[in-house]
Amino acid sequence: MRGRGAYLAAKIGWALLTLALVIIFNFVLFRILPGDPARSVAHDPRISPETVAALTARFGLDKPLFFNFSGGNPFDSQFFAYVGQLAQGDLGVSYNFRDRPVVNMLGDGMVNTLWLILPANVLAIIIGTLAGLVAAWRRGTAIDAGALAIGLILWAVPTFFMGIILLFLGAAWFDLPTGGRQTIGAQYAGFWDAAYDLGRHLLMPTLTFTLVLLGEYLLIMRSSVVEVFSEDYILTAKAKGLSTFRVIRDHALRNAMLPMVTVIALNLGFIVSGAIQIESVFSWPGLGQLTVNAVRERDYPVLQGAFLLLAVAVVLANLAAELLYGWLDPRVREA
Amino acid sequence: MTAVVQASAPAVTGLVVQRGFLARLIRRPMGAIGLGMLVVAVLVAIFAAFLAPYNPYVHPHVTIEDVYQPPTAAHLLGTDDGGNDVLSALIYGARVSLIVGFAASLMTVLIGGTIGLVAGYRGGWVSTVLMRFTDFTLVIPDLALQIVIVAIVGPSLLIIILVIGGLGWTSAARLVRSQTLSVRERMFVLRARAIGAGDLHIVWRHVLPQILPLMLATMVLAVSLAILAESSLAFIGLGDPTVISWGQMLNFAFSRGAVSAGAWWALLPPGLAIVWVVLGTTLLGTALEDVLNPRLKRHHLERDRSVRVTEPEGMSWLRAEPARKDAPLLRVRGLTVEFDSPAGPQRAVHDASFDVRRGETLGLVGESACGKTTTVLGLLRLLPPGGSVTAGQVLFDGEDLMALPESDLRAVRGKRASIVFQGAMNALNPVHPVGDQVAEVIRIHEPEVGRKVAEQRARELLERVGIGRRRYGDYPHAYSGGMRQRAMIAIALACRPDLIVADEPTTALDVMIQAQILELLGGLSREFGMATILVTHDLGVVAQVCDRVVVMYGGRVVEDSPTPRLFADPQHPYTRLLLASFPDVLHPERPLQSIPGSPPRLDAMPPGCPFAPRCPAAFDRCSTIKPPAYDLGDGRRAACLLVEPSHTPPEAVHG
Amino acid sequence: MAERPVAQENPVLVADDLVMQFAGHRSFVDVVRRRPTPPINAVAGVSFTVAPGEVLALVGESGCGKTTTANLLMGLLTPTGGHVTLHGHKISGRSRGELATMRREMQMIFQDPYESLNPRMQVADVVAEPLRVHHVASSPADERARVVRALTQAGLTPAEVYLHRYPFQLSGGQRQRVVAASALALEPRVLIADEPVSMLDVSIRAEILNLLRSLATSQRIAVVMITHDLSTVAAYADRIAVMYLGRIVEIGHAKRILADPQHPYTRALLSVVPAPDPASRRRPQVLAGETPDPARIPSGCRFHPRCPVAIERCRTDDPALIPIGEDHAAACVLVEGGRRLPPAPGATAS
Repeated sequence: MRGRGAYLAAKIGWALLTLALVIIFNFVLFRILPGDPARSVAHDPRISPETVAALTARFGLDKPLFFNFSGGNPFDSQFFAYVGQLAQGDLGVSYNFRDRPVVNMLGDGMVNTLWLILPANVLAIIIGTLAGLVAAWRRGTAIDAGALAIGLILWAVPTFFMGIILLFLGAAWFDLPTGGRQTIGAQYAGFWDAAYDLGRHLLMPTLTFTLVLLGEYLLIMRSSVVEVFSEDYILTAKAKGLSTFRVIRDHALRNAMLPMVTVIALNLGFIVSGAIQIESVFSWPGLGQLTVNAVRERDYPVLQGAFLLLAVAVVLANLAAELLYGWLDPRVREA
Repeated sequence: MTAVVQASAPAVTGLVVQRGFLARLIRRPMGAIGLGMLVVAVLVAIFAAFLAPYNPYVHPHVTIEDVYQPPTAAHLLGTDDGGNDVLSALIYGARVSLIVGFAASLMTVLIGGTIGLVAGYRGGWVSTVLMRFTDFTLVIPDLALQIVIVAIVGPSLLIIILVIGGLGWTSAARLVRSQTLSVRERMFVLRARAIGAGDLHIVWRHVLPQILPLMLATMVLAVSLAILAESSLAFIGLGDPTVISWGQMLNFAFSRGAVSAGAWWALLPPGLAIVWVVLGTTLLGTALEDVLNPRLKRHHLERDRSVRVTEPEGMSWLRAEPARKDAPLLRVRGLTVEFDSPAGPQRAVHDASFDVRRGETLGLVGESACGKTTTVLGLLRLLPPGGSVTAGQVLFDGEDLMALPESDLRAVRGKRASIVFQGAMNALNPVHPVGDQVAEVIRIHEPEVGRKVAEQRARELLERVGIGRRRYGDYPHAYSGGMRQRAMIAIALACRPDLIVADEPTTALDVMIQAQILELLGGLSREFGMATILVTHDLGVVAQVCDRVVVMYGGRVVEDSPTPRLFADPQHPYTRLLLASFPDVLHPERPLQSIPGSPPRLDAMPPGCPFAPRCPAAFDRCSTIKPPAYDLGDGRRAACLLVEPSHTPPEAVHG
Repeated sequence: MAERPVAQENPVLVADDLVMQFAGHRSFVDVVRRRPTPPINAVAGVSFTVAPGEVLALVGESGCGKTTTANLLMGLLTPTGGHVTLHGHKISGRSRGELATMRREMQMIFQDPYESLNPRMQVADVVAEPLRVHHVASSPADERARVVRALTQAGLTPAEVYLHRYPFQLSGGQRQRVVAASALALEPRVLIADEPVSMLDVSIRAEILNLLRSLATSQRIAVVMITHDLSTVAAYADRIAVMYLGRIVEIGHAKRILADPQHPYTRALLSVVPAPDPASRRRPQVLAGETPDPARIPSGCRFHPRCPVAIERCRTDDPALIPIGEDHAAACVLVEGGRRLPPAPGATAS
């Protein structure tokens, strides 16, 4: 039990440290990169000095970057102002959509992206692990070869291309919408009507994402299972007289899932990049779309906020995975 | 167990010899296909100027009718949104993808490889810092960051390469680090340090050559990731506008109405081209990994192919014995086991025959590759993947185990005949408490026994084997080697079997623990009336514990005799020499003999008697005839022409 | 302070009260609770000497500290206490540069012949490697000559045949000979052999052991053989040192110890080593339990919890090596003052 507590404490500690580093990195990144409209305005000779002074004061650009050594409060700097704002949940306001708080924008985008990511991920995990298990069990047969081929091809297709194909087919064969989250200007008769419309818009994006993730999960599960199936303790289980089904269920499955847990968590960083691509293709108003538009418009507060959100999500997902792993694998808990 | 498994793939020992590497790569379908695909792509890129019908960088005057034209003779893949030839753009696009792919992956592997190598080799705080840095880089959402940097700094090819390479090195770093860690602990590295070599020498001569091949495979796989990343960036509109790339073609087509125009020829080819290159590199990279790090790809749960093919060949024993009340518990007749290998099936055990009586302890003795482990695994049809029993009968209490269907055999395994494997290090499932694994056997074969009772009995068993009931809930990693072996014995005994097979149960253990375990086995055998087959190479153990001895060499039974007579009057020359080479702590002054040469490998079995090349008493017929086991009366047999009943020994050929 | 056994004339290698302590493993909770972690006393005061041409066997079970001692001798570890002396010069705690000359005098042979050789290096390169590291050869021809000489000494003749082979083309015994040759290339005065034959087949062990024996005798090389196999020791060692939990419990002339062991641990050990003689009438003394964790060493005599003849004193007294006769010493209170352990009933065959 002692081991478990120490393990937990260590993992959470590192996660907190990483979060701190992420915040610092985020801050520095968007200060270093050129093109910040607020700052470029301040250097623009065409703007009147009064406006420049006002803008500078408003965005705190006259304060030192990290620490203030000119007497007084050493924490009176841009960085700590930023941290202070973060602590209050204030991510600033968008440059583009005047005075729309970034937090709200991110919140809306987040919900939409989750609609996209979660069902697809769950589906891909279920199908991928089952298919990988069967393929590994029947290793060397046609089933295995087929599964391997499918997995490799799915893995090799770029996410956006998969999206384009499905968009095309969906529109051409099934008369599905070609973008967006809901039909523009639609009047809904009730809840189910709205749900049906959402579903029609969600179908192809979700399918795209599922297929893209499926390939990777299949391949990893397959190699993990073959590895586990060749371990000595499987032979021991056989020697006890267990049926193949019980050997798999009681001895192999849990060990084979361990690498999957790691992969699923690590994948979260890449899921986000996949979401960006899918949202581009299907004009889905999620976090990815938000980020791409913010880049185009140089909307720095939104960018900074989105970035932070994405990174924090990855850190938390990794932490969850490590904790889950520690729960599943007793060896890890002993430091 | 590894020794047995390696017997089935003798040429594969995880080594790489430079020559033949390419050939082995090609022989794998994945390697051949992947290499082919990649070569095609590279050739297309290099010879783009000759292959493309038009130069896509030169824009001829076009009208609105030229936009999105379907494929014709003039434009094999139609035209795009600008009226330009899709095919030519496709061909030239290969250049960008491949250049970015290779350059970025090179950067990836160089950065990641260096970091991984330093972290793995130095260890300590250096490693911690570097790995934390790596973890941190992993957390950063890469596409988002790439988008940000490229958009703001400017989308040139160089920036794109830097940005992709600068974020993609993390998995290479982890891989190289773990590889370096394991190489660093290998004995030849320790030896280099003992010689007095410095770190630089060790890394250059010993570590780097071991990890370079895997880095190559990683680099090839990294190419596919880099190409995917580049095309994603281009699709979003952040590709280098001065060059044509497939991602960009898709970007233009998609955002300029190719979908609504139904212009599949502008959408499909660039995407398929990306798939082609990515698939090719992935196949090649996977095949490379496979060739460089051959792991056994077969496992224990494959379809059981241990089917008997022929009748027991060779009359090495009386065929029909009338069923008697004191008949032996186990009668093995003509057991033959073969393994698949790239060079064809190889015989690991040939025509093995012996008996085990109730309550008797039989010692199965021999050196490496003699077939003793394979024999006992074959008895219960627990052979490693690739092995099958091709001939023989195994009469257990009258039933032929070779003829039983798998479901009936399962009722025997663990209940009436059980086996303790060699090397218990990994024989227990690491995620279940040990006690549960003992109780499991009881619950399978005696399902009417409830969970509580089964746990109770398991605790008693743990007590009986000397582990103690309090350690029921511990996991295997908390057990020492000796304890794990005892746990395996507890599992084997749980249902009071009639026969227990112990394969080198004490080989890896200290001599005192060995004594404890042998004492335990002996006591339990007497108490439960169990018969035991003890597989070992230790003649001392055999002398102390076994009632009978069967000596094996080169896959055959060469001598079978009650213990006292074997030691007092060995009949087979191998037995004699083996006894003479075995040190005796009670007679330390006796000089030890060694047998020149070494035991034959499976793929190099001599014709005739397997021992003939090393036998001091061999004569001409020995290298042509395989002697059967002659019955010498008194319960003794020996497979040697010298003891052929009607035989006058001629002069020995070599002494 | 352990009393040194009878000193020999001109020993080439001397281990003087070697101590090796490893930091114990500290868990996070230990740090928080400020609990001191018990250190691991792998080697706790080991002293012995080895003369040229002599084979000394360091015998013991796992956890006794014999491998750590070997690493200390070789300078691969720096002792926490005590020192190693080679040709009268202290070598412990020196820098790598200073150790370079020492390296040429003392070489090691490892346990696993299948792992000790880099699978990508040819035999010639393996044997030449120590020469290259120390810049010994004056020319390629000189290097080749030395390599051939070393291979021949190790019994691989004709040497030319083996020069360009890879390890996977050699048998276990041949590989071990290659390892021996690479150790011999520098013409060392001391060879440390760590379980040199435990991974070889029984029928070929004798040839490697015979090789070591003949090298000791003909070249006057001092050989320290680490092993857990008392049977091997019986046939090949001149002197034995039996180790338990980081200490030497009995040391001296091999045959004498084997014939009449005077430490209860040695006795028990000898009684359970299986001998290939079904007719022998020994009563094995099977000790209960396992060797304790080196992080938790018992008080008093380290062996007392498992000792079949322990008395009350043993719980508090930690005896040093007590000399019993010529070249024989045992660390047991029962042999103090000239007493001897009573012969165990049926202990050894007549």
